[in-house]
Amino acid sequence: MSEPAVRISNVTKRFDATVAVRDLSLVVPTGSVYGLLGPNGAGKTTTIRMMLDIIGPDSGTISIFGRPHLDPSVLDKIGYLPEERGLYKKMQVRRVLRFLAELKGVPPKEADKRINRWLDRLGLITDEKDWGNAKIDELSRGMQQKVQFIGTLVHEPDLVILDEPFSGLDPINSQALKDTVLELKRDGKTVIFSTHLMDNAERLCDSVCIIAHGEKVLDGEVAAVKESRGTRSVALSIDGDARDGVRGVLQDRRLVARADDQNRFFEIELATGADPQELLNRLIASGARIRRFELVSPSLHQIFLERVGAQGVELGMSGHA
Amino acid sequence: MRKMFVVFKREYLERVRSKWFLVATILGPVFLGLITVLPIALASKTKSSDQLSNVIIIDATGSDLGSRVQQSLAATTPQAPVPQLRAVKAEHVAAAERRATTDVMGHEALGYMVLDANTTAGKEMRYAGRNATALIDVDNIERIVRQSLLAQRLEREGIDASRVAALTAVKLNAKTEKITDKGKEGASGIASFFFGYGIALVLYMMIAIYGQSIMRGVLEEKTTRVAEVVVSSVKPDTLLAGKILGSGLVAVTQVTAWLAMTFLMYQARGPILQKFGVPAIASASLKIPSVAPLVGVALLLFFVLGFILYAALFGAVGAMVSNQEDVQQAATPVMLLLITSLIFMQPILLNPSNTLAKVMSWMPFSAPLMMPLRMALIAIPWYEIVGALLSVAVGCWIAIWLSARIYRVGLLMYGKKPSMRELGRWIQRA
Repeated sequence: MSEPAVRISNVTKRFDATVAVRDLSLVVPTGSVYGLLGPNGAGKTTTIRMMLDIIGPDSGTISIFGRPHLDPSVLDKIGYLPEERGLYKKMQVRRVLRFLAELKGVPPKEADKRINRWLDRLGLITDEKDWGNAKIDELSRGMQQKVQFIGTLVHEPDLVILDEPFSGLDPINSQALKDTVLELKRDGKTVIFSTHLMDNAERLCDSVCIIAHGEKVLDGEVAAVKESRGTRSVALSIDGDARDGVRGVLQDRRLVARADDQNRFFEIELATGADPQELLNRLIASGARIRRFELVSPSLHQIFLERVGAQGVELGMSGHA
Repeated sequence: MRKMFVVFKREYLERVRSKWFLVATILGPVFLGLITVLPIALASKTKSSDQLSNVIIIDATGSDLGSRVQQSLAATTPQAPVPQLRAVKAEHVAAAERRATTDVMGHEALGYMVLDANTTAGKEMRYAGRNATALIDVDNIERIVRQSLLAQRLEREGIDASRVAALTAVKLNAKTEKITDKGKEGASGIASFFFGYGIALVLYMMIAIYGQSIMRGVLEEKTTRVAEVVVSSVKPDTLLAGKILGSGLVAVTQVTAWLAMTFLMYQARGPILQKFGVPAIASASLKIPSVAPLVGVALLLFFVLGFILYAALFGAVGAMVSNQEDVQQAATPVMLLLITSLIFMQPILLNPSNTLAKVMSWMPFSAPLMMPLRMALIAIPWYEIVGALLSVAVGCWIAIWLSARIYRVGLLMYGKKPSMRELGRWIQRA
């Protein structure tokens, strides 16, 4: 197997009194789509910035494609889309993109060719207008995001790092982004993205790492992570208004450890030793019309809530911030 | 190096392409030309008021001094009314003055003068009028009264009246030349005064304008959040260096364009000055002081080092704050350093070789302005120039070191303006 795209070993980063990242280790396999998951303030952005050497770790090492991340040649292989996006407002689109491409070592002529291809592909060159010659601040927000995205990919990076890429995207652009991520994967590129939206992560990622309070909670391939939790979860859908009766059943702690109520859909984690058959009987007895009752692997969302929630409690009890 | 060049190229091209640059580059020499030409045009054009003789003479001397002044004054401006002579007794001067004041207020005369015993004694005369602040008018009136008094005295000594007129008609102007250690310079003392002043002022303007434009550029990169994208490709230090050099070259480009245009205007100074009504003789006397090549190199070095020093500091200020409201306040200490030099410019112009001047031309933050100023005024030993250059270079190095650290941390820091203590922590942390 080839070198992992990113290997982070025992990295710690402090900002004055607070620890942003504590003893974090993770491996991103080359050619995978990797999700960095965690609540706001978990240390995702700090971790990403350390990979890009925007800030340096206090201790620990980071290597990218087998080379120390401080190696100047490494940066040119990475495409980065920061969470807070922005471009030079008064500059022409083409000039901004050429600048970003040249910073990554793409020769100007080659850059121009690629920029035109991208502008055309994303609909920024139309019959009536070539937006490439417009200034950034003449563009709509959606168009600016497209330009930013071109800027991330124009130098054809082997590793693409996207920080909260789905925030602020409408469903259409969101879908376009997912398609692009999969396309990058098909081309053998590695994609790392951070998000707190578990649904996106579960569908897109090959592997994930969940971090909270700067520490790793768990990591690994999505399938393996879910498998390790066993099939102690039930997916339940109901029809009609029998919600009160159902809720009564779900509050029985002998049967149900946790229930995630999404109105007409419940994700239920069974209590230890509970028999799903008994739960089903109780639900039928409560008068609910059941559309779906299925033993499933827990969703990432469920795992996330379970692990991060539990850790939050632990931290609260031990008195550490 | 390659990345710095990319940053440098963007910085340079985007600034040179801006409309502001074009306007300033064209209007600069026009403005400079105007401030060079105007003093000359004014000097040759500035005549005293053409109504100079339209005054009231209150004569309490009991002699013919009043009528002598009346005649001389009337001759200066033949087209204006002849002065009204009012001979009064000494005790009635106050009343006469009151009446004359009312007349002036009623626009019947431009002003009035009082000639009394003090005047005859050669001590003083008094003048009050609408043109009392016009130095040249007052100067002329003084001269006429002085000459009239002199003529009166000479005639009393028995010298013939016509001879007196010939003898006292003395018009004397001082033509000045500057002598340095190298001997006489062609240009006049006034010219080298303006030259020194001009150089220091242009350096100041360039540093203030382009230094602050770097500050705004850095702040813009912060507020638009483009900074994070850029520093994911290039180290902050390289980014800062590229920005400073890019803007610096823009400044050099602008000054070069200005010099070229000024040179052309100088070549065509005769016709241009004639448009302003300056006679050819006066325009021939306008000489640009010659600059020795070595002095030119020293000037350029002072400019480059001074620019880098201030640009680095302004860049750090831009990285320190997160919004337009805070930036002016945060820039105040840097501006104060720069303005200090400007404040001391006047005293140093008047006395370029005293201790204050020497100290100011050795301090890293004021030397880039003060040393060129002194160099234009007096001859400075080479070791002082080299020493000052070294001092600026050291100051430059410290400024870059500090700024790079503040810049590195500040570029991705958002929120309120850091206190001095927080700033210290940034410098340590980077």
